[in-house]
Order: sequence, then structure tokens, then C-alpha cells
Amino acid sequence: MPRLHGWGWLVLGGVTVVMLILPYLVKSSFAVDIFIRVLLFSFIGTAWNLLGGYAKQLSLGHAAFFGLGAYTSTLLQIDFGISPWIGMVAGGLVAMLASLPIGWLCFRLRGPYFTIATIATAQVLMLIFLKFRDFAWGAEGTTIPNLGHAPLMMQFETKIPYYYIVLGLLCVALMITAGIERSRLGYYLVAIGEDEDAAEAIGVDVPRIKRNIYMVSSFLTALAGTFYTQYIYFIDPQTAFNFNVSIEAALVSIVGGIGTLWGPVIGTVLLETTSALLQSWLGNSIGGVQLTIYALILMAVILWRPTGIMGYLIEVYGRRLRSNPAEA
Amino acid sequence: MADALVIKNLSKRFGGLQAVQDVSFTVTENETLALIGPNGAGKTTAFNLIMGYYRPDTGSVSAFGQEIVGLRPHGVCALGLARTFQVARPFGGMTVLANVMTGAFLRDRSPDLAREKAREAIEFVNLSARENSAARDLTTIDQRRLEMARALATQPKILLLDEVMAGLNPSEVDQAVALVGKLSSRGITIVIVEHLMRAIMAVAKHIVVLDHGQKIAEGNPKEIVENPEVIRAYLGSGYAHVPAGAAP
Repeated sequence: MPRLHGWGWLVLGGVTVVMLILPYLVKSSFAVDIFIRVLLFSFIGTAWNLLGGYAKQLSLGHAAFFGLGAYTSTLLQIDFGISPWIGMVAGGLVAMLASLPIGWLCFRLRGPYFTIATIATAQVLMLIFLKFRDFAWGAEGTTIPNLGHAPLMMQFETKIPYYYIVLGLLCVALMITAGIERSRLGYYLVAIGEDEDAAEAIGVDVPRIKRNIYMVSSFLTALAGTFYTQYIYFIDPQTAFNFNVSIEAALVSIVGGIGTLWGPVIGTVLLETTSALLQSWLGNSIGGVQLTIYALILMAVILWRPTGIMGYLIEVYGRRLRSNPAEA
Repeated sequence: MADALVIKNLSKRFGGLQAVQDVSFTVTENETLALIGPNGAGKTTAFNLIMGYYRPDTGSVSAFGQEIVGLRPHGVCALGLARTFQVARPFGGMTVLANVMTGAFLRDRSPDLAREKAREAIEFVNLSARENSAARDLTTIDQRRLEMARALATQPKILLLDEVMAGLNPSEVDQAVALVGKLSSRGITIVIVEHLMRAIMAVAKHIVVLDHGQKIAEGNPKEIVENPEVIRAYLGSGYAHVPAGAAP
């Protein structure tokens, strides 16, 4: 777990400045939309990474929490007129509570069985919201009433404020991750990811640690759900509990490097940018070409860099340190 | 000396296999007890029963007077029992230091304190030179050392060592024997499972022999090597001709 020194801080400062002025540098709203999606999936990936990356509990059911966050804030807003800002936190708490029984069930299983169980929980939640029409608009979903410029209701006339909201969310998630990485919890998570029995042998209460990190991870994922619904002004079970959300959360982390602070961000920048650019260049020419190329990139990373891009960089960095210890 | 670990009538059955049957023995404080017996005798199962990985069908285990059957492994560890695994199970992707720190966190929440305690443990097992290596890059003996350091970092009063010398060459065995002696002189009670009689004779004054899940003998090394039942079940007749005094 390398710490930042001189150059590291400079790069981080530079990136921060660029991120802060980026929406004003690029005028096109298409580009801002891509940035928002990149930040959103970086955020979801970072939330996923806490459980899936550090503790290597490969969840493919994070859409469950994304959807719960989205539905909680939307229900509160439409039925009770409560601001999505409050709804967002409420959604996070609902997801956190939901993670307890889901975790209680799923953590009995290990490896692929755990993964399948998480997929099932997200699907079951989607079905519940599809079938119970009186409760939450059933399959047709609902649009969020457009109030024009209403910052207190998380509604804005341009995309730029959304950009800053999701940038803020990502920063919070990264700071939480950085804090956990250096703490006892961080070491325990990695130990669990490496070998659960060996971790138990040195006093790690594995079920408790898993439960705690699952709560943090689902809380954060739910925030993304609220944000996304507010951003697209629409909710239905298919978008809120979309399996793609679960997949993307895992995928960006795997490509970028699981169990690393910046892995999900780097993975998302690579995947989302490529996918958006491919779609705009090739989307209309030959159907499916952009997906094919996207898939080829994925296969290339997983075949040649199974530890992800960050994992590779850390290896190279480590090798350089060993050959030239003076730099450490 | 007080009793550190009292095992009474411990039994465990896996389907049709009676892995451990009615085994009782007592480990007194600061002694080194060796648990020996042929493959499949139930030695590792006994470890797993003591440490809470399996729940015994019957019987009790108490550490310093406290019943520990029913506790989960991390709870047993918190009470001051630590173990190593028969096949070393380091956290491969972590550095040696991070591995041992993870153990030290049991007693010290702060990373700085844990790092300090971890370094002491690493120093103790002579692994300081490899502190920043990834655990998976270590040699077999260094991985065993790492496991010991990691267990040691939890500040155990009782240490269960499962075949820490298997697969080591003779000079490495000597180092491991010295290390076990060093642990013992630190006041730690040790239960060691081992096949290597040379090593056992060197470290243990008290031996329990298991065969087919049952205790067939208990005593000091001299009594054990002369016990006809032990010779038949485990040591083999060749061993009987070696005078007991030849072992150190």
C-alpha cells in the first residue's frame, strides 16, 4: 500500500484542478454526459471494490442496492415531497439494512455460489418491484416530476451541477477507501480475500467484517441509485435493478485492478470512454461492431493483465524498487 | 505448574469414520507436548477441534480453566491460542510485514503499534530481511517462519504447530528446532504435531501418541520409543533397535 510522496501529491493536485474545471473546458453536453457516466461508474465501482476487491467477495448483485436507493428516494419524493438529498441518505440506510439479511444468506456460501446468490437477490428485488403495482408503479415505472431549476430537490437545468455532485460522491468514496486501506479493517479485508480460514486463525471475526464492509458498500451503491434516477428523471424496475449495473461495478474494478484505490476509476475511464467513443463513431455504421471491440478489449485485459491495470503498475513499480532500492 | 490446556474425552466422527475417539490429555503451562502418530491418526483433526474449526461430537477442551468448545476460531485465538497450518497458508499477495501486522491487529488496533509488534515477531523468527517481499515469493521454510511470526503476533499463550518441519532439509530442521526451543523459552506452551522423530526428541519432553483416532500411549520420549504398542503402530521395529539415548 504505497503512500504518496512529492510527485504523487502534485499529480493528484493537477488531476483535481482539471476535474474541477473540466465541464467548462468542454462545452458539449454529450461530453459532459460521458464524464458524468464515467464518474458515476467509478463511484459504483469504488463502492463495489470495498467488498469485491479488497475482500474478494465477488458480488454480482449490487444492482439490488442501486435499485433500493433509487426507489427509496423516488418514493419519498413523489409520495411525501421529501427532497432527494434526504432521500439519498434514506436510500443508503435502507440498502444498508437490506444488506444484513442478504449478507446473512449469501455469506454462508463461498466463491461462485456466493456470486450466484447475490445475482438472485437482485433479480428477486426486481421481480418484487415489477409485480407490486400499487406499491411502486409496477413495470411501467414513473417519471420524476420536472421542477425546472430546483437545487434543493436535486434538479438542475444543465448537466454541470450533476457533474459536481457525482464528482463529490466519488471523492467521498475514494477517501473512505483510502482510510479503510490503511486501517486494521483494510488489512482484515485483504486477509479475508486471501484465505478466510487463515484469517480466522489469527483472530479475524470473518463474518462480522464481511457484514460491516457489505453495509458500507451497499450504502454507497444506493447513493448512486438515487443520483442516477434524479439524473435521468425516470425510474422503473428494469433500469433500477438492471443486471448491467452489477456487471459494470465488478467489471470496471476487475479491469482497473481489484483491491486497489484507483483501480475502479482507471477501469471506468478506459471502459466507459471506449464504449462511448466506439458508439459515437461506429454506432450507426455497422450494428454491433462497437460491442465486439469492447468485448475484445475486455478479453485482452483479462488474458494478459489479470491483476488489472493498477495491479500491473504496482508490480512494475515494485520491480523497479527492488532493482533500485534507493528510490524507496 | 498449572494446566494450560485440558482435553477431555474428545470425539469426532465424520460419517463412517471415527476421526478422534475419546482422547484426553493435559498440557501443563510452558511445556512442549508432541502429538505423534501415523497419517490419518487424527492429529490435525484434534487441532481443528481444539481451535474451533470443527465442533466435537462429545468432550471438552479448556484453556486456562475456560471452556472453549463452541467458540469460533477467532474467539479461540482471542483467548490466547494460535496455530499454524499443516500446509503454510500465508496471505500470498500481502508482504511479510502486512501478513504479520494482520496478526498483531488482534491486540493493537493502531497500525503503527501493530507494525512495531509485527517487526518484533518477524525479527524473532529471523525473517527481517524479507520484510517487504510478497509472502508468495518466500521459500517453504520462510513461509513456515512467516506463519509462526503471524501466529506469534497475536501474542498467544499456547501455540499449536502442525507439521512445521515437514519437507525441510536437515539444516532447516535444525533451525526450526532451535526456533521452537526459543518460543518455549519465551514462556509459550507448545503443542506440536510432527513426524520427524529426531525433531520431536529434541523439543518435546511429553509425547501423546494417536492411532486410528485413539490415544495409544502417553509419556516421556524414552517411554514412548520403548512402548511396544507405539513401535507396532507407528515407529516400526527398526526404531526399537536404536537406543533411546542416541536421540539428543
